[in-house]
This record gives sequence, structure tokens and C-alpha cells, in this order.
Amino acid sequence: MNMAGAFVLDKAAILDRLGGDEEIYTMMVDMYLQDIDHNCATLAAAATSGDAYSLQREVHTIKGLLATFSDDEGAAVAYQVEQKIKLGNLQGMESDIPGLDARLREVAGVLASHR
Amino acid sequence: MHTVLIIDDSDINLTLIKALVLKLGECNPVLFDNPLKALDWCREHVPDLVIVDYMMPDMDGLKFIAAFRGLHGRDEVPILMVTANDQKDVRYDALLGGANDFLTKPIDRVEFGARARNMLSLRSGQKFLADRAQHLAALVDERTSEIREREKELIFRISRAAEFRDPETGAHIQRMAYYSLAIAKGLGLDEAARRLILEAAPMHDVGKIGIPDYILLKPGKLTPEEFEVMKGHSRIGYELLKESRSEILKAGAQIAISHHEKYDGSGYPRGLKGNDIPLFGRIVAVADVFDALTSERPYKKAWPLEEARHFLEEGRGKHFDPLCVEALLAEWEDVLDIRQRFADEEMPLL
Repeated sequence: MNMAGAFVLDKAAILDRLGGDEEIYTMMVDMYLQDIDHNCATLAAAATSGDAYSLQREVHTIKGLLATFSDDEGAAVAYQVEQKIKLGNLQGMESDIPGLDARLREVAGVLASHR
Repeated sequence: MHTVLIIDDSDINLTLIKALVLKLGECNPVLFDNPLKALDWCREHVPDLVIVDYMMPDMDGLKFIAAFRGLHGRDEVPILMVTANDQKDVRYDALLGGANDFLTKPIDRVEFGARARNMLSLRSGQKFLADRAQHLAALVDERTSEIREREKELIFRISRAAEFRDPETGAHIQRMAYYSLAIAKGLGLDEAARRLILEAAPMHDVGKIGIPDYILLKPGKLTPEEFEVMKGHSRIGYELLKESRSEILKAGAQIAISHHEKYDGSGYPRGLKGNDIPLFGRIVAVADVFDALTSERPYKKAWPLEEARHFLEEGRGKHFDPLCVEALLAEWEDVLDIRQRFADEEMPLL
């Protein structure tokens, strides 16, 4: 699965969705950064558990997280991975899951640098 | 203040939705990251709005909605299901499964505000109607109770009018009504039937109002012809009451016409036998005779209780329904209490 291009923060788009509320935006960024390690660990654990449904659910969660920060490309990749798992196709997971992990961390880095 | 239940396994979504809910104003968000725990909470609390994610561990949003709707009194609480744009099939399932609307992830504040406000407005409408219905029901109960009280008082006074023309006293009406209640209790009749017999029994002799004074007030023994006239009070009472729409008066009519029937078929006016005699008539027959025996009259002394008890026992299967006699004897403590409460000089209302 091809990973998306570099994440570019579109704060205006996120704020637009949040009705211009900077307070909520800051709170969400803080939470994302606070939870990043936990989310990556949970994803990795699901990948090694052999439980396809758990893995699909975690990928679904990551898709939501990326979409929350307007990472449309990252969310699209997560969606493709989610659909593959849903269809029972686990081929390529060894690179897909680390790819999602890397994307989560990349987004975290960008968010942290814009605080 | 609206209680908004938010269920999402993602902390960031919980925080985001909570912040948006607080922005709505007049809302108290309650958060759960686990749908099973949320369901436990819902067993004790009724939220005004539920916002639930679809994909969660242990129980997905669709199953949560089904379980929530299955709880008593939770079938109308508005539910917003949170789904991703690509989950059209889930949305349809959610709407069919009891969700009222859905929110798209990533959550947009404008969309969220509009949908959440609509749902809360729906909830306010539901509560207003429920409160109004409750208020009206309470009002109807109050008025019905007033009417019933008036009905009871009228019955008592009509019964007293009949008894005033009779050597018997107002206290007799009370005692025999409560003896009837004691028998009904001993027979295991339900609460409604017990209340009905207590209220209807006082009318047993209302037909005496139609008996001429020279017979009703005759100090000596009645001639056979006079006795035939006297027996007519059963039918007169029945005719007076039978066409009423009131349950109490209808029961009174039944008691009036059947309380002089005897279990062996030798009673009047119809000579009914055994269980062909209406149950209320069989009960009142025992209560009426027992009180008559144990009360003093201008023409006789009161029988000692044990003798009256013996009379009832002797009359089982002949004059009286054996089960009704057993029931009265089984409630003997009540019998003694009733005798004490309604001595002849007292005439309180039922």
C-alpha cells in the first residue's frame, strides 16, 4: 500500500470544522500528542494478535484520528487498509501497519512543531 | 439541563464531543469509553440524548442501540450515531436499528450543533408531552377520587335512609360491610373485589325503603302474607340499583337480590342453590346474619359470640356457603376488632 505524501497541516480547515474554536483545537492537539504512543502501541498489538476484527477496528480509529486533523491522504490510506482487512485480505500488512504508525507519528511531529 | 450521554472508545473523540456539547449550553455530558459500562449506567439513568460511535470494542454502536432501546422507557430517547463518511451501510442499519440521526466523522461543529439541537428539541417536546400527560392523569385521578368519595357517601346515606325505617342501626351497616370484607379477605379475593364488596354491602337492604311501615315496623311476628311482602325488599333493592353504570351500585343490586338466598336452595327470592348464588350474595348472607345474631334489638338480646359462631358452623352447606363461614372464622381477630370499632352508638362513614 502506497503511503500518502508528506502531511501538511491545514489548521484553517480544522478550525473551520470546529467553528473557529481555538480552545477545542488546542485541546485536541494536546490529546493527540498525549495519546500517540498509546495509539501506536495498540495498533501494533492488534497487528500481532491475529484478530482481524481488532486490527480493523484500530485501523478504523486511526483513520478517524487522521481525518480529525484534516489529513485526508493519510485517512484515505487508512481506509484502504481497513477495507483490505474487512475483505479478509491481510497481504502486505507487514508494511501497511508500520506505514500507518509512521503517519501517526509524522502528524504528531507536525502538530507539535506548530503549537 | 439536558443529560447527554457520549460513548466513544477514542479519548480524543470523547473530549471533542464533550467540548461541543458544552458549547450547546444547558447540557451535562456524561462520558464512557466502554459501551458495556455505558449500558450499565443507562439501567439507572435516562439520558436526554445519546451520541454513540459505531466501531468500538466489546459492543459496536448498532448493538448498543439495540440493547439501549430494549431497556424500559428508553425507546424514545434520541440517538445520534457517529459514523465515517464511507459507512453508508452502517448509517442505514443505524437508522433502521433505532438511531434518530447520524454525525459524520470528522465531526463538524456546525453539523454537530444543528443535529444535536434538533435532537434535544425533540426530547424537550417528548418531556413536555409526558409531563402534561402525567399532570392530566393526576387531575383525572383526583377528580375520579372525588366522584368515588361522593358516590360512597351517597350510597351510605341512601343505605342509612332505608335503615332509618328499620329497627336496625347505622352501625349494623358498617359492621356487616366490614364482616363482608373480612370474608372476602379470607377467601383470597383481590384488592379490587374486597373494596367493591366493602362499598356495595351497605346497600343489601336498601329495598326496605319500599316496604310499608305497618310491616317493616311491626313489633310482633309477621303473618305469612306480611312476610311475603317483606321478602319483596330483595327485588325492590335490585330494581332500584340494577340499571346503574356504577360498578358499586351494580354490585349492590346483585347483593340486594341474593343475600337472602340459602346455600341449599331454600332461600328467596329465586331459590338459588350453591354456587348459582352470586359470590357477593353468599358472603353478605353470612355477614348479615352474624351481625344480626350478635346485635341487640328491641325485640331480642345479642347472642354471645360463641353461640353465633356455632350457629354459622351448623348452617354450613345449608343456610351458608361453607367456604364463606370458614373465611369469617379464619379472620376472627378482625371480627372482634370490627365489633369494637363499630359499636351501635357510632355511625362513622365508610
